Amino acid sequence: MSKLMKDTTIATVVAIVDDLTQDWGLDTDSPSGATTMVVADLEFASVDIIQLCVALEQCYGRRFGFQDLLMKNGSYVGDLSLGQLAAFVDLKLNTEGAVL
Amino acid sequence: MTVKTLFIGMDGATFTVLNDLIKPADGGPVMPFLARIFEGGVRAKLRSTPNPLTPPAWVSLMTGRGPGHHGVFDFIRAEERGDEVFFTLYDSRDCRVETIWSIASRQGKKVAALNFPFTAPPPKDLNGFIVPGFVPWRHLRRNSYPDDVYDRLKTIPDFNAQELAWDFEQEKQSGNELSDHDREQWVSYHLPREKQWFKVAEHLMSEEAPDLMAVLFDGVDKLQHQAWPYVDPAMQTGELSGFHKRMRDLSLGYFRQLDSFIEALVTAAGPDVQVFFASDHGFTASTEIVRINAYLAEKGYVHFRELPDGDAGARRDNSYFAYLDWHKTTAYCRTPSCNGITIRVARNPGETGIAPAEYEAVRARLIRDLEDLKDPDTGERIITEIHKREDVFPGAAMKDAPDLQLVLRDFGFVSVKNILPVVEKRNYPIGTHHPDGVFLAYGPGIERGKLLGRRHITDVAATLLYSLGLQVPSDFEGVVPPAMFSAEHKTAHPIVVGAPTLNGLNDAKIEAMDEDEKRQILEQLQLLGYME
Repeated sequence: MSKLMKDTTIATVVAIVDDLTQDWGLDTDSPSGATTMVVADLEFASVDIIQLCVALEQCYGRRFGFQDLLMKNGSYVGDLSLGQLAAFVDLKLNTEGAVL
Repeated sequence: MTVKTLFIGMDGATFTVLNDLIKPADGGPVMPFLARIFEGGVRAKLRSTPNPLTPPAWVSLMTGRGPGHHGVFDFIRAEERGDEVFFTLYDSRDCRVETIWSIASRQGKKVAALNFPFTAPPPKDLNGFIVPGFVPWRHLRRNSYPDDVYDRLKTIPDFNAQELAWDFEQEKQSGNELSDHDREQWVSYHLPREKQWFKVAEHLMSEEAPDLMAVLFDGVDKLQHQAWPYVDPAMQTGELSGFHKRMRDLSLGYFRQLDSFIEALVTAAGPDVQVFFASDHGFTASTEIVRINAYLAEKGYVHFRELPDGDAGARRDNSYFAYLDWHKTTAYCRTPSCNGITIRVARNPGETGIAPAEYEAVRARLIRDLEDLKDPDTGERIITEIHKREDVFPGAAMKDAPDLQLVLRDFGFVSVKNILPVVEKRNYPIGTHHPDGVFLAYGPGIERGKLLGRRHITDVAATLLYSLGLQVPSDFEGVVPPAMFSAEHKTAHPIVVGAPTLNGLNDAKIEAMDEDEKRQILEQLQLLGYME
């Protein structure tokens, strides 16, 4: 099991984000949480969002189909909170279960 | 422990240039150490994959299998979903067959693979090290293996992840026409990058001495895309401008530096090491732009979508993939790098495209139409080769390949833009990929000063495993070139074909993907937004 896997999904998402951004030199006032926005607060570019999705998939050992979250009505969403990401992962885990 | 096998990848290296750089010149050859390798080793042209492009070619080199088996055809993977086509990026999880890193590793050999594309995310059970290529610096830590290697690299004096890693904004320029200033910057940008990779290789080799030490210098390709007129020996005639001379000096400086890195690595590896060099493809000059989708639109296969106004339209126009009306389009080229045509077949109710029963007839007509694209002045065909996918991509992954693979008369990559004329002369020649790369070998047990006939890119994987003292998997397409090694060496170390690779390595994932086609479409969706 990944060392980043925590008791709750949001805690796992936060742990992965903290791990991902540890070298970025971000100037953030407060620790990441459910309301943290990946673009506005963490300065994610689109490539960083993709890497976060891959990291989540690796942590849980399955693919989540993040396009359902990242794309609305044919357009890419502008920003996402960590809470939204965690809720999406929860939804997928609850409806489809873990694969590996 | 000592390094047994050293592999140095040189992305895009070609004998067209290297033969010139090893020649004696005023003050000696530009690449004196490589000259020694030529003299004391074996070399051969290396035929690339049907589309001589980084993703399929390097993955073939690392797996000993063609794209029809490993399933990586391009940088970008497209999935049709209703009346939309989503574009995703390939990553290591899309490779369906085992790599040499894994094959060697599970047989007890320690490996180090530096800067190779499609090694991210890395496997979890490797005996050794992976620092992947084609990954932005902010994600190098997470995509390197093992977990502590990134912190170890940070202890190397002057280590700079931002200099080392792939920068997408920079790379987008490689196929574009740039200003003189930008071209000069482009070449300069790659000098410190290569030095960073050299330092990492040097560090891991001295600290870990892996059985297989492999490092890829990809600046050769990047430089040649924009600096081809300054490195191609055939283009150094007549009166040369000051800018030309400056660019040539800068480019030769790059190769001079590369030669010093090669010498340092080979020397550090010791006299008992077998050294191999290979490129994923060669290089040549592209002199014209071929707007393939514009041509297919003239023939009625492609229907462009109108670009939105403002920034969104500009981003779309600048994107790497086709922006089309999917209700009406029946055959199109997805990306400039694929050099292929995809026929849209409506396999399920509600899908757009041609009926399955029409496929053969449509494809035959399409081939004829592509053959008809000719130079109005000479009558010469613009598209010199048109391959059906079953002929060039046999294997379980063939269904993901373009239906037709094209080769242009100047080996250039197509444009997917909605611009006329269909064929237009470039303002200046740019470098493009030629199917013949390079393969060299040097060291104990290897013949000396020998030029072999053309080999295939899949042979490299077989050769590296053989050099490590391992059997060549029976399902490899590549083979060990027997003439590369001395008779004594082959007697002492017979070439043995053994158990097949661990096929099915990714089968669980692939199966899940197939069953869940709609959900697996865009794992790297946002990156493509970035690229737009």
